[in-house]
Amino acid sequence: MPPSSDMATRPSALGRLFRRNETALALCLLLLIAVFGVLSDSFLTTRNMTNVLGQAALPLIAATGLALVVIAGEIDVSIGSLFGAVALPLIVVMNVTGSFALGSAAALVFAFAVGAVNGWLVAYVRLNSLIVTLGMLFVLRGLIYLYTGQRAIPDDAMLETFYQIGNGRFLRTLPYPALIAAAVLAVFLWILRYRRFGRQIIAVGGSPEVARLAGYDVARVKFATFVIAALLTAIAGIIMASRQGSAVHVTGIGFEFQVVAAVVLGGVSLAGGIGSLWGVALGVLILAFLANGLGQLNLPTEWQLVITGIIIIAAVTLDESRRRKR
Amino acid sequence: MAEAPALDMAGIGKRFPGVVALDDVHLRLAPGKVHALMGENGAGKSTLIKILAGVYRPDTGTIRIAGEQVTLQSPRDALARGIKVVFQEIALIEEFTVAENVFLGEYPVGGAGSIRWDRIRADAAALFDRIGFGVDPAARVRDLPMSQQQMVEIARALAHDARIVVMDEPTSSLTPAEVEQLFAVIRRLTSLGIAVLYVSHKLDEIFAIADTVTVLRDGRHISTRPRSEHSEDSLIHDMIGRRIEALYPRTRGPATDRDILRVENLSAPSGLKNISFHARAGEVVGFFGLMGAGRTELAKAIVGFDPLRAGRITVDGRPLAPHDTATGVALGIGLLTEDRKREGLMLDLPVVQNATLAALGKWARGPFVDFAAERRATQDYVDRFNIRTPSLDQPVRLLSGGNQQKVLIARWLMRGLKVIVVDEPTRGIDVGAKSEIFALIDELAGAGLAVVMMTSEMSELLGLSDRIMVMAGGRITAEFPVATATQEAILNAAIV
Amino acid sequence: MSDTAAPRATAPRPARTGQGQGALLAILALLCVGLSLATDTFFSGENMVAILRQSALVLIVAVGMTMLLVSGEVDLSVGASLAFVGCVAMDVTNQTDSFVIGAAAGILFGGAVGLMNGLVVTRLKVNSLIATIATLMMLQGGVYLFTREAVQNGHQLTAFTTLSTGYVGPLPIPVILAALICIAGAVVLRLTLFGRTIYATGANPVAARLSGIRPGRVKLILFVVTGLLTGLAGLILASLMNAGQPTAGRGFELTVVAAVILGGTSLTGGRGTIIGTLLGVLILKVIDNGIIILQWDQNLQMIVPGVVIVLATWLDMVRGRARDG
Repeated sequence: MPPSSDMATRPSALGRLFRRNETALALCLLLLIAVFGVLSDSFLTTRNMTNVLGQAALPLIAATGLALVVIAGEIDVSIGSLFGAVALPLIVVMNVTGSFALGSAAALVFAFAVGAVNGWLVAYVRLNSLIVTLGMLFVLRGLIYLYTGQRAIPDDAMLETFYQIGNGRFLRTLPYPALIAAAVLAVFLWILRYRRFGRQIIAVGGSPEVARLAGYDVARVKFATFVIAALLTAIAGIIMASRQGSAVHVTGIGFEFQVVAAVVLGGVSLAGGIGSLWGVALGVLILAFLANGLGQLNLPTEWQLVITGIIIIAAVTLDESRRRKR
Repeated sequence: MAEAPALDMAGIGKRFPGVVALDDVHLRLAPGKVHALMGENGAGKSTLIKILAGVYRPDTGTIRIAGEQVTLQSPRDALARGIKVVFQEIALIEEFTVAENVFLGEYPVGGAGSIRWDRIRADAAALFDRIGFGVDPAARVRDLPMSQQQMVEIARALAHDARIVVMDEPTSSLTPAEVEQLFAVIRRLTSLGIAVLYVSHKLDEIFAIADTVTVLRDGRHISTRPRSEHSEDSLIHDMIGRRIEALYPRTRGPATDRDILRVENLSAPSGLKNISFHARAGEVVGFFGLMGAGRTELAKAIVGFDPLRAGRITVDGRPLAPHDTATGVALGIGLLTEDRKREGLMLDLPVVQNATLAALGKWARGPFVDFAAERRATQDYVDRFNIRTPSLDQPVRLLSGGNQQKVLIARWLMRGLKVIVVDEPTRGIDVGAKSEIFALIDELAGAGLAVVMMTSEMSELLGLSDRIMVMAGGRITAEFPVATATQEAILNAAIV
Repeated sequence: MSDTAAPRATAPRPARTGQGQGALLAILALLCVGLSLATDTFFSGENMVAILRQSALVLIVAVGMTMLLVSGEVDLSVGASLAFVGCVAMDVTNQTDSFVIGAAAGILFGGAVGLMNGLVVTRLKVNSLIATIATLMMLQGGVYLFTREAVQNGHQLTAFTTLSTGYVGPLPIPVILAALICIAGAVVLRLTLFGRTIYATGANPVAARLSGIRPGRVKLILFVVTGLLTGLAGLILASLMNAGQPTAGRGFELTVVAAVILGGTSLTGGRGTIIGTLLGVLILKVIDNGIIILQWDQNLQMIVPGVVIVLATWLDMVRGRARDG
């Protein structure tokens, strides 16, 4: 067959493995763990490792949701405020009814509403998602302050289930949040690969026009991703509230940046249509181990912010230069 | 016809604000035959296809599929009724595999509602066999060349039991060998009883593949005749209504001897390999090549837009700084891009700002813009070039393609160039405006510029150039003075 | 003869800018009238000056942000930079006992942040949203590494405090500065060659490059300008609070972006005016002021820019649809 007009070639299987973002991230993670393991004695203990997994669970759950939104071609920066805001309906309803189930339900309903508003404005009214969710970020935070009068609302119900969710450990080692995060990750990995809805998300982000031609309801898919992201953020927020034992009005400030950083680091393209949840998970773990390692070395926590910033830039730069070589 | 036609469109009319796209058009497709739809840009072909694809709804007229009257509500609906349109813009999801694209939106699911990837791969492989297409179902669309992406789209048609397959200008990105492959696949489709509507403006292809030809002009149906009843002249006559010679006026004198542009041993990461040529003042050098030959890459490289790996470019003896368009413009070389809307025009800004973009320093009082002077200069070109616009402040988005192109040419003339590189100068422009653009190019050369013209239209190439360079695979493969150039020789040189 | 391009509109559209700003002016007027009727204190000279004073800080940065957005980029790090600048300026003034050096340090620090943003965006080709968020994180972390608590005023230099509290005639100094910067910005954008290159860079960077413009340089300059203006604003803020507060400026970037977009600047670049931004800032600040004198919960002040920004985008979209017919 004579050579075709385009000069594309198919990379070899091994080449593809190395080209994959996930491999690079996994190597980074191992390197990071190795370095900190050497630099600090208390880093490689079971206790510490499981602690990190517990801490990483929260951004991981939220990042899974955000990844769906970004793969679909949009963005959601309101998750920080939502993360803190869900504690309000949760704690208030728990205090009044004495039921964790009802409290969680209230939190999830609240999150659903927020996600629905975001989703409606972006998918149906067709406003820019950055603007909408930036606005929502501030509206929610303002509502939190308004409602709490800038004070924390303590948990008076003292329910055991509520306590266990955030603070308990399975078999006394693995924190429940980590298990929940693993379950969430598994579910959505499966959805993205084996469910039509998952494939629709990727298609819509890759090329909304083609997706429409294939009969996908682009607006509905995007709307759904916002709702899912909000619900997952709510789950993370419920766990956080459990850890704090109250609804603190400043919870979640800056959380959105952490999560966006992990998603971007994980190789999810801001342009949409590309991205793997494995990458996101690795991104979250890298940032979590980094924060923990720095803490073990007694560096002030602010260094985390600085280093995270640098990492984001490095990650995106690498991603860009790799994309251009393609 | 013994059986009902596969498709029967009658009395189709479609208006857009200010424009009548289609007026009482009819089209009848017989199953198992290739029906060509021809017409110049602006004739209404794409509107008709979009109606068939369910993207537009006709204002008047009826559509019958296999005798049954239908209303096509949406692209999904059209697909469900057995109409598959393969557009020029490939409608595939690049990140997905070939197999997944074939079954996009129609995944077979298993027990738990999960997608059955194994069945998708197997079914796709079976479909590819039917059309004689050998590609790995697990290949990612992103990694495939354009010709194979088209095949995936055709396979998708089969997956939907399409009875009508529409191909919209399918060969603009294909080598002659790939065109042959495509024709083979089309013949397979017709042998399966599928009606193929082949939309093109390339005469030689029509003569090779079509059974019947319908010609549209200015939104109206001009003729429908068996291909055997047509000659090249009669087709052209139906399409443009006048003789082809009138299209390429030549008023300029012979080219000078002075080399204005010299390109030496140019190689670039974009795929250019050791290119050398020169262009003289007053000369039009036409570059021909198939898609992927590197014409646009060359155009972008010689003005400094893309980086080089090696080589030297001099304009009137002065060397160009690498990868820097600003010095190029200062030295007098500029590019009129192929994609006006994305790379040339500032769509929401007015005509006057678009026209003066390259020559901002000219009407300056210190750091300030001299508004009166720039308006005068723009008006001057609007008059000279007959640019149709209600005012100088009209956002350029609202002008027609031909007038937009004229604004861009004016932009370069205001700057004052020695060398102008034009890439596909008449893409997306209707016949009437085309001849005006040709006249302008002729005038540019007549004024002493060196014109480097990239084109894939043979008639343009032969009608305008003084010298013809042929490119293939990033190299220059042949050079002909226009007097001795023939279509066959050019095409031969264009194949790697 | 028809053409393959978009169908021609049947009538020319009126100039966009005039129409958009007219609506903003109307909204502003409506708000002022409404508030004057609802309360006694709104229409007093004192209150007017207070509004102008509060607007000044946002406006100074918003002028830079407008030009940056017109060129197609954004800078979300201005809030964090504001805080850091204040701490740096106060600290340097404390140590050198010189207002001039302290002020210069603050402003230049802001400029340096802008330079870094600009280089990351233009050289490393990182999306400006991500890049400036990353800068924001670095600044938020960095300021705490610089100082644990607020940097108090140890120098007691009158010049420092006069910057924010002083008057020139009836107007506070920050207002005069904001007005001058506003005028300068408007002149540059509308009347200069450089302003044209800004619009071109945002409207179509490829076309701009092909025409001999260097979009990278234009954007770099604008990032630095925005940084310097943020430096000035941070200095004024430190003067106002009489301390360098590491926690200052939270949400500042949102207010700035909200005002700029409300004023008609497009997120995608190529469109925007300083006048529009001025009106946007005034509207937001009048609303803020209204919330205070109507004695509504102050936390509403955080909600307002959020809602405004969404409404403004929606309005922009509606205007856009009307424009395209």
